[in-house]
Amino acid sequence: MNDSEQGGAESESREYRTDGGTATARERSVDYLDAEVNIFKPSTPFMRDHLRIIWTGFVAWALIVFGPVTLTAIVPDAMSTPMPVLGFPLHYFLIAIGAPGGSLLLAFWYARKRDALDEKYGIDHAVTEGSADEDAVAADGGSDA
Amino acid sequence: MTGAALLQGGLLPEGLNVSFKLLPSILVLSMLGLFLAIGYVFRVADTEGMWVAGRSIGNVENGMAIGANWMSAASYLGMAATIALSGIYGLSFVVGWSTGYFILLIFMAAQMRRFGKYTAPDFVGDRFNSDTARAIAAVTTFLIGFVYAIGQARGMGLVGLYIFGDIGIPGLSGYQSMVVFMMAITVGYLTLSGMLGATKNMAVQYVILIVAFLVGLYAVGFTQGYSTLLPQLEYGRLISELSTEFSAPFVNESYYLWIATAFTLVVGTCGLPHVLVRFYTVESERTARWSTVWGLFFILLLYLSAPAFAAFGTDLFAANVGPVYGEGGMSSAAGDVIVVLAAQLANLPQWFVGFVAAGGIAAAIATTAGLFIAGSSAISHDIYTNIINPDATQREQVLVGRLSIIALGIITTLAALDPAAPIAALVSYAFSLAGAVLFPMFFLGLWWENTNRQGALTGMTTGLVIWFIPMLNEVAPNYGLFSGMAGEAGVISPALAQWVPAVGSALVATPIVFIVTIAVSLMTDEPDLETKKMVRQCHSPEPMGQQQTAEDVISTDGGETPADD
Repeated sequence: MNDSEQGGAESESREYRTDGGTATARERSVDYLDAEVNIFKPSTPFMRDHLRIIWTGFVAWALIVFGPVTLTAIVPDAMSTPMPVLGFPLHYFLIAIGAPGGSLLLAFWYARKRDALDEKYGIDHAVTEGSADEDAVAADGGSDA
Repeated sequence: MTGAALLQGGLLPEGLNVSFKLLPSILVLSMLGLFLAIGYVFRVADTEGMWVAGRSIGNVENGMAIGANWMSAASYLGMAATIALSGIYGLSFVVGWSTGYFILLIFMAAQMRRFGKYTAPDFVGDRFNSDTARAIAAVTTFLIGFVYAIGQARGMGLVGLYIFGDIGIPGLSGYQSMVVFMMAITVGYLTLSGMLGATKNMAVQYVILIVAFLVGLYAVGFTQGYSTLLPQLEYGRLISELSTEFSAPFVNESYYLWIATAFTLVVGTCGLPHVLVRFYTVESERTARWSTVWGLFFILLLYLSAPAFAAFGTDLFAANVGPVYGEGGMSSAAGDVIVVLAAQLANLPQWFVGFVAAGGIAAAIATTAGLFIAGSSAISHDIYTNIINPDATQREQVLVGRLSIIALGIITTLAALDPAAPIAALVSYAFSLAGAVLFPMFFLGLWWENTNRQGALTGMTTGLVIWFIPMLNEVAPNYGLFSGMAGEAGVISPALAQWVPAVGSALVATPIVFIVTIAVSLMTDEPDLETKKMVRQCHSPEPMGQQQTAEDVISTDGGETPADD
């Protein structure tokens, strides 16, 4: 489920990347101190894009964390089948390793997405921070395929 | 787990070799000496340096600090214990304590960094413009520190038995004597090192505890023929040989309790003051995000290993000591030291078992120190200086801070002499509290600008009340309060304990607090524009200066808008 969620978000991002240029120009004119903050009513294009990533990640997280254990409660026998090679009962593996490991992958995915969003809106954290972070930013910019 | 009153007070982990051991004792004492030396060498002069380490810490370093700050005796000892004793239910602790970091990352880490305040009471007080809200948050922080530390004291007391044996303080059992001894060491350590070097020590503490845990796991797995290179996956093949209680779904506890516990630990993670403070120490919000990813990685090194340790320990216990489950099975005290016990039962050398035990003590002392500092600063800074005596001198503040550390030390020791539950459950009471009272304030405060003072005050009060009810129901009878009303299971109302368990009360409390806070905010006046702008600044994509807080930005470069005020 993790993969399909990621795939969905990927195609979404491609969708709005086409208007990247204009969005950046528009963002520059936004005064964020006048833009209302409400998690259900994003008031700027940046907020809308950011919240789309956040909610996608949140749904994927909820499925990874609470999905297997709920399935186990519903169909315990099917979920307890031993796995080949590893020997874990399936539910044990998905809960003990799948949920924490999946969350780590999602966290990595989110941080990458958020960096890409910064780039789309022309945000450079290195500007105000002096030279310390510049290398990291440049390296990331290149790897954003 | 609900109210299982086991052999209290005289807690004695069966199978554990309780005696004074010279090499392990030297190991533990020199470890403490090392912490003191580091604290002294890296001492910092000003308060900014002390609390937020100059806001100059990078991704990996802060990730390690997140890991060290996070992993207490509950992770090191308690998690393997609940997995060994309660099987699948124990995994809800692994899941709740790790996956919560993703929620923290997507909803709060960067925004908290932009808000730029040091402590939970500061955030609540400034966001909702209220000294009362600040006081409630401070009291909550103090309570969290106290409840959380009881679990640490229990862990130190049990593990200390392996290293120092029964030191025999008159009138106390071996376990109780060890709790008093270890807590005295912890408070002494805090008094000597002050708050100095706390952050610098974290990397060292992380390295000690992760190395001790992993080396212990690999040694047990290798010498006993359980595993070779990847015990974290290889224990899978052992599971079919263990009793079904270890892996069969919901045989020990219900599905509802699993969900309640995992949910509580997730929201608690996002509401714990000592976790959030780690985000102020980083150079930018981008670092706040990436260091959370690193932090989760460092945490998982231990969290993916704990079930393996539990599996090995359970198998060794069954082979050498006796049946693990059912009547006469493993006690909660033995469960809580299963990590040390596994190393001992694997016939590893004494100094090596001592090293594994020392890791547990490092985890407990580091976390207790952090909690006591947060708790005492809540009292001396947020309540005493801000509310009771605004003219307090520096000396008076330090004195109040010291006294509150000693007070915390005493009440924690007393409560740990006869603890109500195993380590993991004790610690999760603190998570219930953080998840019910502080998490809704952080979340709504950051994500809905119209959350106002009245909403926050009502919400926090509601959260505190809902947290107290199951604590009175399940935990108070253990300490002799209302014990006359308690039934056979040691709880006053079994139905309440089933649906609002103390370990997982946030599943009920958090949604109610959200609803109450939102409803009251809607019914009363919106907050002023200045407050709203502070919230907006937390979400703006525009980079902020390294030393800036959201408040600084809106008061200095509010742009063309000041006329609106």
